[in-house]
Amino acid sequence: MLSQTHKIVLALLCGATEPLTKTQADVCLEEDVALDRVVAELNNYFETEGLPVWIQNLAEGFRMMTRSEYEPWLNRLFQNKGKLRLSRPALETLAIIAYKQPITKNEIDAFRGVDTTIKPLVEKNLIDIRGRQEGPGRPLLYGTTVHFLEYFGLASLKELPRAREIAEIVDAENLPAGDTERNAT
Amino acid sequence: MSYNVKLNVYEGPLDLLLFFIKRDEINIYDIPIAHITREYLDYIHLMQSLNFQMAGEFILMAALLMRIKVQMLLPQPEVEKLEDIEDPRTELVRMLVDYQKYKEVSDQLKRLEENQSQYFPVSSAVEMRDYDPELFLGDVTLIDLGMTFQRILDKMPKVKQFGIETIKINIRQQIRFLREFFVKRNRIRFTEIAMKLTDRIEVVVTFLAILEMIKSNEIHVSQKDIFGEIWLTKKKPAEEYVVANA
Repeated sequence: MLSQTHKIVLALLCGATEPLTKTQADVCLEEDVALDRVVAELNNYFETEGLPVWIQNLAEGFRMMTRSEYEPWLNRLFQNKGKLRLSRPALETLAIIAYKQPITKNEIDAFRGVDTTIKPLVEKNLIDIRGRQEGPGRPLLYGTTVHFLEYFGLASLKELPRAREIAEIVDAENLPAGDTERNAT
Repeated sequence: MSYNVKLNVYEGPLDLLLFFIKRDEINIYDIPIAHITREYLDYIHLMQSLNFQMAGEFILMAALLMRIKVQMLLPQPEVEKLEDIEDPRTELVRMLVDYQKYKEVSDQLKRLEENQSQYFPVSSAVEMRDYDPELFLGDVTLIDLGMTFQRILDKMPKVKQFGIETIKINIRQQIRFLREFFVKRNRIRFTEIAMKLTDRIEVVVTFLAILEMIKSNEIHVSQKDIFGEIWLTKKKPAEEYVVANA
């Protein structure tokens, strides 16, 4: 059975429209919550009960998500709006920004060897403006947003694959370690 | 009758060069410049013969490749140590290695994107219900205001005929127009105002009028989240004073 704390955390996770952080949980429960442990126990509970949801560690917080086996039905619900994918140039640009932030558009262009379009990424809230670089022209500096982490299912920027790890990751077809969804059986 | 030809699309000159390097199993640190330049120019000529719009970057890279080749043919000035001789290809190799690295990371991001798309958040930020919006308002930067205006300008019908007209509205007039909104209410959505505007010059002048009113402390602008609705709030009458030079 779930304790009162577990139930309250679960309620918060159900109502929250963005990843729930430890700080938010502490404020809401008016006590120091061992959020990592509570989430792990809730995940165990969902798994034992065979429920269609799990809690993902996203963007320095936790968010309740549906399980992958229910994707077909949810796609129908959202009429394939979830099927939109970023283009290759957009992914390249994001990769550069993610590793080199804060970075100017000129620096991005130099890496890619072409003129880069920044605006759609700002509009999709994947990157934002981090101020201006000192020096001639004071160009805008760009960095990734919290939504960027959520979009790619990352708990933090530290989870980004390091360049020299990439080859191994590609071989092993492994996604970043952390809490990937376990199969409910 | 015209044909559409689908070729491999390269994001840029670096992408194209990496394709040749991979295809011909070339060592990236020892690129045969003559060979790669020939392949590169052949591709550009093919694109041109197919009437493709050739981006300037591709031509620039062709020039860079040829410059490297020329530098390699020219005799090097006498130097004391062998290490002092700089390979003219160094810069190109660095660019290619960096680019390759980020290309691989972007493939990795693609996989993460695909993986994450299987999961749907249990609750997502839909339209806020009838909350008091003021509770959640944050300050607006000039960039937010500018971007909102850009979006409205984008929605304006495109001009097909060009002519010169006298501008019939001015900032003072638009300030009066804006004040009318505040007669009954203290707070209005920016988009409500925008809906009443019909052409670009009107949008521009209204924007200037809003900036003027912010400057003279007559109104305050706020926004809940990025790209969210911008609210204009009337300040208390005590702070209100006549707009100078409007």
